Amino acid sequence: MSQNPFPLDKADLLKAYRTMRTIRDFEERLHVDFAKGDIPGFVHLYAGEEACATGIMMHLNDNDRIASTHRGHGHCIAKGVDVHAMMAEIYGRSTGACRGKGGSMHIADLSKGMMGANGILGAGAPLICGAALAAKVRGDRGVGITFVGDGASNQGTFLESLNLAAVWNLPVVFVVENNGYAESTAMEWAVSCDSYVDRATGFGMPGVTVDGTDFFAVYEAAGEIIRRARDGGGPALLECNMVRFYGHFEGDAQTYRAKGELEAIRASRDCLTILSERVIEAGVVSRDELQAIDREVADRIEDAVRAAKAAPLPEASDLLTDVYVAY
Amino acid sequence: MAPVVGIVANPVSARDIRRVVANATSLQIADRANILLRVLAALRACGVQDVVMMPEHGGIRSHVERGLVRARARGEDLYPAIHTVAMPVTGTAADTHRATREMRLAGVAAIVVLGGDGTHRAVAAECGAVPIAGISTGTNNAFPEHREPTITGLATGLAVTGRVPPHIAFAGNKRIDVSVNGGAVAEMALVDVALVTERYIGARALWRTENFRELYVTFADPEVIGMSAIAGLLEPVGRDESGGLMVRLAPGGSETGPASDPGTTTLLAPIAPGMMAPVSVTDWRRMPAGVPFVPKVTSGSIALDGERELSFTERDRLSLTLRDDAFHTVNVAAVMRHAGQNRLLTGTPVPVSADL
Amino acid sequence: MSRKISMKQAINEALDLEMRRDPTVIVMGEDIVGGTGAHGEDDAWGGVLGVTKGLYAKHGNRLMDTPLSESAYIGAAVGAAACGLRPVAELMFMDFMGVCFDQIFNQAAKFRYMFGGKAETPVVIRGMVGAGFRAAAQHSQMLTPLFTHIPGLKVVCPSNAYDAKGLLIQSIRDNDPVIFCEHKNLYGLECEVPAESYAIPFGEANVLRDGDDVTIVSYGLTVHRALEAATALAKDGTEAEVIDLRTLSPIDWDTIVESVERTGRLVVVDEAHPRCNLATDIAAFVGQNAFGALKAGVQMVTAPHTPVPFAPSLEDLYVPSADSIASAVRRTLSPKGARSIAA
Repeated sequence: MSQNPFPLDKADLLKAYRTMRTIRDFEERLHVDFAKGDIPGFVHLYAGEEACATGIMMHLNDNDRIASTHRGHGHCIAKGVDVHAMMAEIYGRSTGACRGKGGSMHIADLSKGMMGANGILGAGAPLICGAALAAKVRGDRGVGITFVGDGASNQGTFLESLNLAAVWNLPVVFVVENNGYAESTAMEWAVSCDSYVDRATGFGMPGVTVDGTDFFAVYEAAGEIIRRARDGGGPALLECNMVRFYGHFEGDAQTYRAKGELEAIRASRDCLTILSERVIEAGVVSRDELQAIDREVADRIEDAVRAAKAAPLPEASDLLTDVYVAY
Repeated sequence: MAPVVGIVANPVSARDIRRVVANATSLQIADRANILLRVLAALRACGVQDVVMMPEHGGIRSHVERGLVRARARGEDLYPAIHTVAMPVTGTAADTHRATREMRLAGVAAIVVLGGDGTHRAVAAECGAVPIAGISTGTNNAFPEHREPTITGLATGLAVTGRVPPHIAFAGNKRIDVSVNGGAVAEMALVDVALVTERYIGARALWRTENFRELYVTFADPEVIGMSAIAGLLEPVGRDESGGLMVRLAPGGSETGPASDPGTTTLLAPIAPGMMAPVSVTDWRRMPAGVPFVPKVTSGSIALDGERELSFTERDRLSLTLRDDAFHTVNVAAVMRHAGQNRLLTGTPVPVSADL
Repeated sequence: MSRKISMKQAINEALDLEMRRDPTVIVMGEDIVGGTGAHGEDDAWGGVLGVTKGLYAKHGNRLMDTPLSESAYIGAAVGAAACGLRPVAELMFMDFMGVCFDQIFNQAAKFRYMFGGKAETPVVIRGMVGAGFRAAAQHSQMLTPLFTHIPGLKVVCPSNAYDAKGLLIQSIRDNDPVIFCEHKNLYGLECEVPAESYAIPFGEANVLRDGDDVTIVSYGLTVHRALEAATALAKDGTEAEVIDLRTLSPIDWDTIVESVERTGRLVVVDEAHPRCNLATDIAAFVGQNAFGALKAGVQMVTAPHTPVPFAPSLEDLYVPSADSIASAVRRTLSPKGARSIAA
């Protein structure tokens, strides 16, 4: 084995790969099971975008908070939310992360600093300003990360939050996950200034654009930005340019895409392939080691689905609980 | 037939990590489009009727289009017709290579480039004999000179319409060719090649000086920012001189004390905007044109014009060669001086007597 | 020790006491300090009507002025609450909920349920409600029914300084999101208020006047109009019981039903618009649960189904008056208003 040229040790490289592989398998499995009609409601898959969540979350601990989006499974997994509890939640079971009351769009685990996927686009940004304010008031060096898609970046909540975070100098990182599509509408059309760095600049904070399919690019940029926020250097914006392997939601025929687009991005912009080739080529990790992780992850997802299907449904009485702490 | 001018405008330059680590400029897309509209107006004023642009999805073209629509709505006829190279957009440097190649094959008279050193490098790799007019919209811009883009547009327009003789209008430029394993990989740099010990590409930008080991520059200019400044603060070498400079660095630069190795000198260099960093210099020497240099560093990565591009190990053989007169640029200063001396913009093409 | 203070002072005192007691309490809002970043006095305003005046001197940076940016700072208050603080966010005029309602009803109100009972969001959003201030259509509404409609929110609307202090202290200590509605025309009204800290539990209505002939239920400013009406009716020999709800969610059904079972007549007074408001809600509840006790149809006295007008002459017609309440009571007493048992 050669000397490790990467800024992560081998254990962390394997952890990053395992996280990305877990997200990918989780989403691929949902894609299949949704088509079979096993899953109620709608799901929005993160497949193709794994490097972004993982490259960022590798810098965080449980005291750091994230506010996610409707496309939140990847953020949850990368933030350490239990995969079995997530799967059970998506299946609407009482063993779910939210006891079956939230579903795909509202998975949360506050003990892990995961403040929830969110069905309202752009809603996470003000919430994370509050999380960051709490960290600042307590002085515990916590940071808040909010994710927003290129589409929801047009929401007033998001733009107001950029301003508030700058004015209050909050330890917040605004991550724009630019997959090129606001549901079906092209980012190029819908974002008038065409650049998220321009938006950040307009609010008096630095913005950085990275190739969101390159784990190392995300990891390095996020590391600098998060360290800066933790040290009191204030908010910043990170734009990750990435690709969405599936539709806006499952069942989306994606007729708005150009011919051959999906095949092309899967062939040349698959972040998992890019990461594994990079670490194998550098001689730090062997293909066998990655394949062992693949098998381990596949078994875990299989087990999560099996457990979810076998888990009890919520009780009828659960309909009326958990509205208030006390009423 | 009236000359056609090519335009390569990079929407993603000035977007990297140096915004965070060094307060670098973030030139807005709208500003880049405005720069382009100024260039277009100047080209048209010189008689250029058609330009051909690289397609991109970063918004420059759509902002320019808004400018054209608004001008047309007001009945103004200020701009040349804009054509776009028919090619798919990948959003990477490959677009710049492809567009430049297509423009060269289509016979453009010059290519106006909006970007940083990286964008200019990508154009220079493919432009062949077609001259470049560079406009700085990047981070570390050692190569394109800082100047109001309208003037760059005017000079380009005057040069391509033949009103300034080519020997005045165009200047030769140096470059450094990087060859890995006998040419299996061939890269080039317009300003600098830096060999650093970190062997991953990551966020590409170069700012951790403790990892710098060897530096090769085509010109060593103490007035610019980045690697060229390190060399320029040791021994200036001009853009128009033959050859460049090679600098060897040692680990562990420190602002407070002397370098650990008694044989080294600590130099404080502006390596990125707002970022003065100590670098430990072991020695330096001239790098004559045409002579291959073999680096001593055996593993790490190669940064070209400030961006980590390639990684290499002890198994790889590297060689670096500087070439004089490798490609051409519009000599804006010379063109504008000539235009003034010959009253090219007075409406009277023939020089008139100065003592009238 | 008790002394006469205004409702405005009582609210200020409640905030002060809770900030002293609990370091996780922070207060934020537009101009709640006033003059932040400007070159004049610190604490220049203390809120647009001076409710928080003086708190900055006592608690410093725990009072935070915000940009005029309700979505962002109400959302931030909600987020901070979910992360362990007890923020009190002032939404200057409750009418501004229109630009931050998502943060209130889709976020704060739903976290606990959506997250399977694992979240607590102890945020208080306090703001001015009600007409009579010549503030026109966008600064005068009684939007309490909109908040009451949402599961997960608690809604409070005091009618006097004593209740305001005790209910606000309870709101801050409460572990659920609370919408605290302050009627701007009651700010100056004084009453005896103890100097020490006390909390008034939610869901306990206050019977302000006993009577056996008719029950009048209200909250906020119109409680005082109901009391005026009751005084006038007493001259004619009609004794009205007046119930001040104090909290709309939770609501004290027991006190209402007990009273109606005794009086057999109900008039509900609500300053909100007439459709789907507290009056209709209470009328429906009583109709369903105490129908047998009713001797007459329930009467509702509300604002009209119009925006709040500006012209003082019109606005005075807008808010339910003591006269209109008394007329409603008389309707329940007339043979025509009485329910025909034979029918």
